[in-house]
Amino acid sequence: MLKLNLTLQCLLLNQPESGMGYQIVEAVTADLKTKRGIAYNAELLLFDEEPRRMFRTATFAQLLAEAKISTDEIRSLRVVTSATSTASAYVLHETSARYERKSRPAKDAPIEQTKEKEVFKRFTAYENDHRITSDGKLLPGTYATTEEDAKKAPTGKIAVARYALPNPKPASNVWTIEPWKDTLIQYGIVEPANDQPGGGVEVIFTKGTHPGTVTGPKKIPDE
Amino acid sequence: MRIKLEQRWTRRLLQLPESGMGYQRVDLRLADGRELKNVLAFNAEEVELPDECAGAKIEDVQLRTA
Repeated sequence: MLKLNLTLQCLLLNQPESGMGYQIVEAVTADLKTKRGIAYNAELLLFDEEPRRMFRTATFAQLLAEAKISTDEIRSLRVVTSATSTASAYVLHETSARYERKSRPAKDAPIEQTKEKEVFKRFTAYENDHRITSDGKLLPGTYATTEEDAKKAPTGKIAVARYALPNPKPASNVWTIEPWKDTLIQYGIVEPANDQPGGGVEVIFTKGTHPGTVTGPKKIPDE
Repeated sequence: MRIKLEQRWTRRLLQLPESGMGYQRVDLRLADGRELKNVLAFNAEEVELPDECAGAKIEDVQLRTA
């Protein structure tokens, strides 16, 4: 696995993608061997013979940080235009595409403002969620997800996996949050943690929400 | 082993941000001097402790920031 130097990155950026966020490439190495691999986001190169295990759990940023920076290992690099698909491409291409947008966790994301009529959901194992006050607001620093992403968690157990929750109890209580426009918020992607894959969208209501913005919970199946 | 937190710790945790949806990572100091790092607190009311801490009294709770 190599982090491509700027010269090679520029070379790839002038060639077409093979799919969203990746290019199937052929590299001539320093010892004059020809190797095929996948270049993600024009910056991370993984040869076909390399193991893929860590790609299922690590974030793209983590992979980049761990990759060796290419110096003289590669003599030439070209995109293969009629390549057969490689399994690894599909493992990582979504990750690298997300990296382009907001692959970082919400806590590291910039503070934004909610738009009008945006809706969010919060999954918890508890019916008496203490982060929700009796007048229906979220306390500052409370996590949730977008309404759209919540559709991908139809059961409490799936929510535990998707949002990498450390509490193994199914998060089957779903709260609906309808914040006022311009409520402060940070958007991010859940990193793998707690033996869970993560990958869901997470948001933090940096300063909480206004009274009357939270309703529920609605009970979904545990599994 | 899960133990329920005293109200004062719940009140403190509710003034602090979450670490993820429904939980916080905290450092605990027990009355006997032991310190427990990176403990999970759920819903600001329960903490997951090692079994050998059964019956221990919590002296301080701090949110883990890193």
